[in-house]
Amino acid sequence: MALSIADLPKEELFGQGNAGCGGCGAAVAGRQAMKALGSRTIMTIPASCMATMGGSNLKTTWQIPFYHTLFEIAPAVSSGIRAALEVQGIEDVNVVSWAGDAGTADIGFQALTGAAERNEHMLHVCYDNEMYMNTGGQTGSQTPMYAVTSNMSKGKTIKKKNMLAIMEAHGIDYVASASIAYPLDLIAKFKKAAEKPGFSYIHILAPCHRGWQIPQEKTIEFARLAVESGLFELYEVEDGLRTRNVEPSFIPVEDYLTPQGRFKNLTPEAIQSIQAGVNRHYGRGE
Amino acid sequence: MNTTLLTGSEAAAYGAKLARIEVIAYYPITPAFPAMERVSKFIDDGELNTRFVRVESDHSALAAALGASLAGSRAFTVTNSQGLLYMTEVVYHTAGLRQPVVMAVANRALSAPHSRFPEQGDAISQGASGWIQLFCENNQEVIDNMVQAFKIAETVRLPVMVNYEGYIQSHTSEEVEIPNQETVDQFLPLNRVRTLDVENPQSVNTVASPDFYMDYKFRQNEAMEQALTVIDSAAADYAKEFGRDWFGLIEAYQMEDAEHAFVAMGSMVSDARIVVDELRKQGRKVGLVKVRSWRPFPAQALREALKNVQLVTVCDKNIVFGLGGALGNELKSALYGQTVRINSYIVGLGGRDVTSEEIKKVLELSEKTENQATASEWFGL
Repeated sequence: MALSIADLPKEELFGQGNAGCGGCGAAVAGRQAMKALGSRTIMTIPASCMATMGGSNLKTTWQIPFYHTLFEIAPAVSSGIRAALEVQGIEDVNVVSWAGDAGTADIGFQALTGAAERNEHMLHVCYDNEMYMNTGGQTGSQTPMYAVTSNMSKGKTIKKKNMLAIMEAHGIDYVASASIAYPLDLIAKFKKAAEKPGFSYIHILAPCHRGWQIPQEKTIEFARLAVESGLFELYEVEDGLRTRNVEPSFIPVEDYLTPQGRFKNLTPEAIQSIQAGVNRHYGRGE
Repeated sequence: MNTTLLTGSEAAAYGAKLARIEVIAYYPITPAFPAMERVSKFIDDGELNTRFVRVESDHSALAAALGASLAGSRAFTVTNSQGLLYMTEVVYHTAGLRQPVVMAVANRALSAPHSRFPEQGDAISQGASGWIQLFCENNQEVIDNMVQAFKIAETVRLPVMVNYEGYIQSHTSEEVEIPNQETVDQFLPLNRVRTLDVENPQSVNTVASPDFYMDYKFRQNEAMEQALTVIDSAAADYAKEFGRDWFGLIEAYQMEDAEHAFVAMGSMVSDARIVVDELRKQGRKVGLVKVRSWRPFPAQALREALKNVQLVTVCDKNIVFGLGGALGNELKSALYGQTVRINSYIVGLGGRDVTSEEIKKVLELSEKTENQATASEWFGL
């Protein structure tokens, strides 16, 4: 039976009174994920908005053990936590590292690929807002081509690195993309990941309205447009089998891109080329 | 008595086994790697119920050990030189989080130029990191200090480095008595502290504003000061249980009537004992002060031990550029106000041999030197 919103626990393990901006995509992702993971979860989060919005000084929004780690180490720390739980005979705890795109794909990549290669019993989550928002919105490997950032005023000139493909290549237990605009799909994927005996990776597109230069009440809408345009495919890879979880309606990519301030420099040729890329990926005639 | 030939690496591994470490994480580096391999073999042979996290780097090694410690397990790692520098960020962080991780460090010179040979510069570089640092003069002390390190770490809630020199100790076999496991178990009961615990959720390392940060650091330093007492009492308790006295923070050897004191730490100390014995036979009033605890720095104990000497000769197997030898510099601070001549020498960098003959020459040179022209003089160029 398909999951329904009514089935979800009412308990809020993350999110109440967090210090994120209004309309923060990462905070929405955290709230949704915790509905699936539950209270027996140990969360490590490296330097990022998500790490700082969860608590400061003597206050915290987390109702579970939460550790704000150094930038590069969350998957390594979580590996150590799992080792400790195993040796102590504690079995029913989810061990999760949760990083932004920098803490996952760039500065945090070494520890991530190490933990994935060892197929550690844990889940790593990337909440991807496609730029380094905690330091003001600089370009990183997850920033899409053409996007204007605080340190590339003319827009990025190279493509976004495909982290899902990289993680799939590790041959780990479970790889999935997820979107905060599809909460039931996201929650189902977290539940699946939590059941795996080895390493799982979930990559969430979590728009940041400040970096993307969109109205703050449109975070979810743009997350949905990314999926519906086909630019962000929702799929999972389980036991080597790849399944698309949401069939996009293929709205023109232009409808997703041009309303965003960060794509203000997009030329008609660039839009055409992005559209052609989507068409090619889904096997649609040009 | 269970005496056997052990290298320093093996002694560190046996020490970890005696402490019943629960998690080890490491990334191989020369010359520390035999210690790791020995622990892995203990695990493979079923002699140790320990999880081995085969991390992809030294940085992640300490991170994984830290994670295990936060989850309540006794955790251990091994490294040296470039590995220690690479994990430096995590070194400071672990101390700030007050986690009692123990790390064996097979001291080795730092690049550049590339060297894989012994020196204490790697440990010295971490002098402000908030780790307690013990230096061992021989392999017996390595195994004994490993056991004491966990005791000290878990008492004051600070991480501890157990330093022994690469090759000179790590790869050299000596006769070592392996302490009795049951006695170690009594000496070192497991007092599990779970910082990350689903039964008692806490947020760790949340952002500290200027209203909080400084007070955390004050408490961290207080723990370091508490360690001054705890290192002494751990050594005394250990001596009572195991019959070997390592004298806590420092050891004063032949110092009762000494006029000239040699001060050093690490493997040079055991060579210096021979020199002191020899010079004593000639009727020279020479003594030895061994610095066993580099951090916390035992300033008060050193002032007391050196209060009656006229000359102090201190040797450093490290160079703090633009300053001189680290121990020499610390000693001058510690003895400020006391009337004593202090001559400081840089020796044995990057594996250059320091034998008892060299130590004798340094002592003779020092006796002839009224005022050193520089903060530390280089010996053996």
